[in-house]
Amino acid sequence: MVELRTLRSSGGRRGSRAVALLAAAMLLAGPFAVPAQAQQGKTLRVALITGIDHLNPFTATLAAATQVGRFVYEFLTLPSARDTQPTGGIAEKWVPSPDKLTWTFTIRSGMKWSDGQPVTAKDAAFTFNRMLTDENARTANGSYVSNFASVSAPDDKTLVIKNKVPQANMLSLDVPIVPEHIWAPIKDLNDPKTDDMSVVGVGDGPYLLTEYKKNEYVKFKANKDYWRGAPKVDELQLLQFKDAEAAVNALKQGEVDVINRLTPTQFNALKSEPNIATNTAPGRRYNELIMNFGVQNNANQPIGDGNPLLKDIRIRKAILQSIDTKTVVDKVMSGYGQVGGGTIPAIYAVNHWEPTGADKVNFDAAAANTALDQDGYAKGQDGIRVGPGGAKLQFRLTGHSSRPFDQRTAQYIEGWLKDVGIGVKQDLVSDDELNDRTTAGNYDLAISGFATNPDPDSALSLNVCAGRPNAQGKGGTTATFFCDPQYEELYKQQLSEFDAAKRSEIAKQAQARLASQAVDVVLDYDNVLEAYRSDKFSSFTKQPQPDGVILEQSGYWGVYGATPAGASADSAAAGSSDSGGNTGLWIGIGAVVLVVLAGGGFFLARRGKTSDDRE
Amino acid sequence: MTQALSSVDPSSALVDPDERRGGTGTARFVLTKVAEALASIVLVVVLFFFLFRMLPGDPVNFMIRDRPTDPRMIAELREKLGVDKPMLRQFVDYIGGLLHGDMGQSYIERRPVLDMIGERLWPTVLLVGSATLLAVALGLWLGVRAAWRRGSGFDRVQTGIALTLWSVPQFWLGLLLLVGTNGLFPSRGMHSPDAAPDFFSQGLDVLHHLVLPCVTLMVVFYAQYMLVMRSSLLGEMNADYLTTARAKGLRDDLVRRKHAVPNALLPTVTLVFMQFGMVVSGAVSVEAVFSWPGLGQLVYEALHGPDLPVLQGVFVVLASAVVLMNLVAELLYRVLDPRVRTA
Amino acid sequence: MTTPEKASPRAIAWQRRRASMGKVWQEFATNKGGLIGLGFLALAVVLALLAPLISDESGLDVTKAAGQPLSPPNGDFLLGTDIDGRSILLMTFWGARISLLVGFSAAILSVLIGTVIGVTAAHFGGWVSTVLLRFTDFFLVLPSLVLAIALSAVLPQGVWTVIFAIGVTAWPTTARLVRAQTLTIEGRPYIERSKALGGGHLHLIGKHVLPGVAPLVLANTTLVVGNSIIADATLAFLGVGNPAAVSWGTMLETALNNGAVTRGAWWNLLPPGIAIVLIVLAFTLVGRALETVLNPRLKGGH
Repeated sequence: MVELRTLRSSGGRRGSRAVALLAAAMLLAGPFAVPAQAQQGKTLRVALITGIDHLNPFTATLAAATQVGRFVYEFLTLPSARDTQPTGGIAEKWVPSPDKLTWTFTIRSGMKWSDGQPVTAKDAAFTFNRMLTDENARTANGSYVSNFASVSAPDDKTLVIKNKVPQANMLSLDVPIVPEHIWAPIKDLNDPKTDDMSVVGVGDGPYLLTEYKKNEYVKFKANKDYWRGAPKVDELQLLQFKDAEAAVNALKQGEVDVINRLTPTQFNALKSEPNIATNTAPGRRYNELIMNFGVQNNANQPIGDGNPLLKDIRIRKAILQSIDTKTVVDKVMSGYGQVGGGTIPAIYAVNHWEPTGADKVNFDAAAANTALDQDGYAKGQDGIRVGPGGAKLQFRLTGHSSRPFDQRTAQYIEGWLKDVGIGVKQDLVSDDELNDRTTAGNYDLAISGFATNPDPDSALSLNVCAGRPNAQGKGGTTATFFCDPQYEELYKQQLSEFDAAKRSEIAKQAQARLASQAVDVVLDYDNVLEAYRSDKFSSFTKQPQPDGVILEQSGYWGVYGATPAGASADSAAAGSSDSGGNTGLWIGIGAVVLVVLAGGGFFLARRGKTSDDRE
Repeated sequence: MTQALSSVDPSSALVDPDERRGGTGTARFVLTKVAEALASIVLVVVLFFFLFRMLPGDPVNFMIRDRPTDPRMIAELREKLGVDKPMLRQFVDYIGGLLHGDMGQSYIERRPVLDMIGERLWPTVLLVGSATLLAVALGLWLGVRAAWRRGSGFDRVQTGIALTLWSVPQFWLGLLLLVGTNGLFPSRGMHSPDAAPDFFSQGLDVLHHLVLPCVTLMVVFYAQYMLVMRSSLLGEMNADYLTTARAKGLRDDLVRRKHAVPNALLPTVTLVFMQFGMVVSGAVSVEAVFSWPGLGQLVYEALHGPDLPVLQGVFVVLASAVVLMNLVAELLYRVLDPRVRTA
Repeated sequence: MTTPEKASPRAIAWQRRRASMGKVWQEFATNKGGLIGLGFLALAVVLALLAPLISDESGLDVTKAAGQPLSPPNGDFLLGTDIDGRSILLMTFWGARISLLVGFSAAILSVLIGTVIGVTAAHFGGWVSTVLLRFTDFFLVLPSLVLAIALSAVLPQGVWTVIFAIGVTAWPTTARLVRAQTLTIEGRPYIERSKALGGGHLHLIGKHVLPGVAPLVLANTTLVVGNSIIADATLAFLGVGNPAAVSWGTMLETALNNGAVTRGAWWNLLPPGIAIVLIVLAFTLVGRALETVLNPRLKGGH
C-alpha cells in the first residue's frame, strides 16, 4: 500500500449517500414514467432497422430515408399496389412520342402542398432541372435523370421530358417531386438546414413530417387533404432499432406496430404470440454461390487469384451436386423461401425457369464422389482430393460476415463439400471488402445475392459480358463474370422481343444456358417476413395483392392503407396489454429487488454499525 | 475491458519513484504532463489514420451499392472523397481538416463526421457519467463496510458478489436484464416519441430509458472501486496513527469516518479517472444492446460497412477523452497526495 | 532442512526456490476461493483437452446435426439444441476449447510483451526507459476494447486475429507492474554484488530478475486470461469475431442474430454466458489469491 498520513475530513460519505438516493430514485422512476399509451390505433409505429441519413429527398440515400421521401412527396407516377403496373401520382395521364424519346405528362388539378400552394407542372420541372444542374441534387436519384436531354413545363398542367435515348423506366421514376417555392431559394442542398421541418415539412404525400430526432425516430401527421383521401391513422412514427431482435422485443411489448426483415426463427416465434399477425410474401431476391471459373475482365484478360482447379467444369458440377439447396431452404430459412432454380425468382412465375429432366441436378453426394473419383481427383490421406498435378481441392469460401444467412450457409457448404473430399476454408468479410474481392476476382467460392425487378432484363443483365469490370477494375455489374456467346445471343433476342410469351420463353432458355455452365448455384429465393400488432391494426394495403409485402414497397401503399382495428378490438387489446404490463411489472420489481440486494446488504450493514456504536 | 481486475493501488502507476524523489516544481510538472497528453493525442490520430488505411475495400463501391449509378457520378464521388490521392497527401489533408474542426464525411450517411459525433456525444456522456457516479458511490460504500468488517459474512458475501458480477460479459448481462424486466423499462433509445414535450416529462422519459443501460454498466464496474477501497482502507487501518487515535479513546466509528476513510479515498478517486477508458469500452457494448443513441452505437453501426471516417473520428474522440481523463487523474493526484506536494 | 554438505550453488538455488514455492502453496491453500477456482480451472482444462476423446466432433457439423432446430432441453439433448439442431451441451463443451485457447494465448502474448518491456525499461534505465515508459503510458490510456475492435476490423477474420487484437492491447498494466518489481529486485544488495563480479545483462536478467518477477507475472497472467475471454465474447457480439469457430462468443452471437431471444430459447443464451462467468470468475479468484500471496504490497492487507 502507498501510505498516506494526512487527516482530512471529507464530504465524500454524504456525497455517496446522495448518489445512492439518486440511484434509488431512478429505479423507482421506472414504473411511474411509463409513457402514456398513444391513442389506440390512431398512431402507426413502424420499426426501422436501418439508419436515416437525411430527410432531404435529394440527399437521402439509405433505404429507410428514401422511404421518408415516399411518404411525404407524391411521385409523378408510381407502381400500383395491385400489380406494380404504373399508376398515376401527380400525373394523371401520360403519352410517349412514337420514337419514345419525348414524354408528355398531364398534371392532376386540384392538388395542394400542405402550405396551401397548388401543385403544378412547374414543381416537377424544377425538381428534375435541379437534378440536371446541381451535382448535390443527384446524390440520391441521379441515375434516373442521366439520360434526360431537357425537362420543361409549358403550362401548369403539362410536363415535357425529352430523353437522349429511349428509357424503359420513365413511368417508375423513383424521384420525389418537391415544391419549387420552398426549394428554389436553397442554394446548397448539403446544408443541414435542408433537413429542418420548415423545408421538408411541406409535402403533398399521404403523411407530413412533424418531428425528427436524429438516430431515434421520425414523426409524421396524416395529410388530411391528401388527394387520394386522408389516411385512416392520425400519426405515423418510424422508430429506429439496432437490429431486428430489438425491434421484435418492442413489437411484443407493444412499443411498435409493424416490423419487417425478420429472421425465420423470429417469424415462427411471433406466429404463436397473441395479438400479433405475421405476413410472409415471396421475395424478389435470389441467393447464390458463385464459383471462380477463371474469370476475365471486359477486355478478356484473366484477373484475380482464383484457384485454377475451378476452371474444370467437372469439379464445378460436382460441387453443384453436393449442395443440398432444399436443406438451405428448410434449415437456414426454416422453410420461408423457395428452392433455387434460374436466376429469375419464382415470384415472377412467367419468366422463372425451373430445371426439369436432364437439366435437373439432384443433391447426391455419392454420385459427386464417384464422378470426382473417375475424373482423376483421388482422395488424399486427410480426406481431401488431390488433382493430377498434386494440387489439393481446397477452396476459400467468402461472403458477408454480417449476414446471418451467409454465416450459416457457409457452415453447411463446408460440411457438404467435406463429404465429397473438397476442403473449404471460410473467410467471411465486411460488405465493402466482399465487393472488392468479387469485383477483382479474388475468390474461389462466394455467397452472394441480388434483388430483381419484374422485368426479366433486370436479372438476365447480371450475367452479360458487358457487365464485367473494365481493365481498370471499375464499372462491374456482373454477378458471376459469365460471358458466353449463346447466352449473349438469347439476351439480345429477349430485349427486342415484344411478344410477352415468346420473350419469357427466351428468358427461360437463357437461364438454362447459364445453369448448364455451372458457374453458380442458385441457393434459394428468400421470402419477405413481416409482423404487425393485429390488436391495433386490422389490415394493410399489400403490394402486390393479395400476397405481397407491407413495408419496403415501391410506393407508400402499405402505411397509407393501414386500417386501425375496430373499437371492440381496441378495448380487448387495452385489457390484454395491461395484464402483460402487470406481469412485466412484477418480474421487473423482482429484478430491481435483486439488484438492490446484490448491491446492498444495507440493513445488514446498518445493524452492524449500530452495534458497533453501542460497544 | 481487457484491464485486469486487481487490488493493487492503481496510483502506484501514476507516480514514478524517480519523480517522487526529484521534487520538480508544480508549474513545470503541469506543463510536462499537459505536453505528454498532447503528444499522446497526436499519436492517437496518427495511429488510427494509418491503421484504418490498411482496411481493404473501396469506399466508393460501398457507397453506390444497391443503386444504379453511372460512371460520371462515381468520378464525382471519388473527387469529393479524395480517395484517389496518395496516402501522405490524404494524411496532410486529414490533419489540416482536424485543425479546422473537420473530420471528413461519413461514407454511409454522407454528412460531416463531426456533426454525427456531436449528436451522439451527450447521450454517451450521460450514460457513462451516471454509471460511473453510481458505481463509485456503490463501490466506496460497500468497500468501506467490507473493510471495516473484514472477514465477516458481509465482507465475504459482498466481495463474492462483486467478483461474480465483474466476470459477467456486459452485453450478456444487458440482454438478461432486458428479457428479465420484460417491458418494465423501454428496450430502445433514450426518448419515447409519445412523451409530453414539457421539460419535466422529457427528463423523466430519459431517466426511464437510462435505467437499464446505466445499471448494466454500473453493476460490472463497481467491483473495481469496491476492492480498491477495501484494500486501501485495510492498509490505513493498520497504520500507527489510527492505533494512537483509538488509544486516545476515540470511538471506532469516529476514527473510521474522520481519519481512515478520507485517506483511503485518494487511490479510489484517481482510479475513477484512470478506469475511464474501461467504462468507455463497456459503453460500446451496452449501447449496442439497448440501441442507446451514443458514440458506442455509432461504432457498432459504422463497423458494418465499415464507415472509415466515422470509426476514425469516434476512436480519436474516445481515446482523446481517456487521455484527458488520465491527465486529470495525474494532476489530481498531485494536488491530493501530500508527499508529492511537499516534496 | 537437510542440505547435502557439498551441494552445487545451482542445487542450493533450486532447493531454496522449491522451499519458497512450497510456502507459497501453503499460503495459497489457505485461500478457499483461490482453491475452488483452481480446482474448477483444472477440471475445465482437462475436459477441454479430452473433448475429442470423450465426445464426437461431427456433432458440430451443421450438415450432421441430429436434433430439431431450437428444441428445448430433453432426454436426448440435455441442454437443448441450437438453431441448426446441434446439441448445446456439446457446443458449450467444445466452445471451451476455443475460449480457453483465445484466453490463454492472448494472455501469454500480452504478458510476454509486458514483461519484455517492463524488464527492459527497468534494467537499462536512461533514455531506453524513458521511451518505453512513454510508449507504455500511451497504450495504458488507450481504451483497449476500442483498439481491439479497430484491429479486428482491419485484420482478416480468424482466431489468431482475435488473439492478436486482445494480446497487443492488454499488456501495459503488466509492463508497469513488472517494471516496478524489477526495480525493487535490482535494488537488492546481491544484485549489486553480481554486477560488481561482472555479470552481464543476460546473466542478471536471466538468473536474478526473471525468477524474481515470475511469480507476479504468473498472478497477473491469470487475471489477464479471464479478461481476454470476456473480450473475445464481446468482439464476437460486436460482429468482429470469428464466426466460423464454435466459441462461447459466437454461440451467443448466432443465437442473437437468428432470433433465439424472441423464440424464448433461454437454453441458447444461458449455457455459454454462464460458462463465461464461471471460467472468468475462476481465473479471477486464482489470480487474486496468487496476488495476495505473492505481492509484497498486499501482504498484511488481508
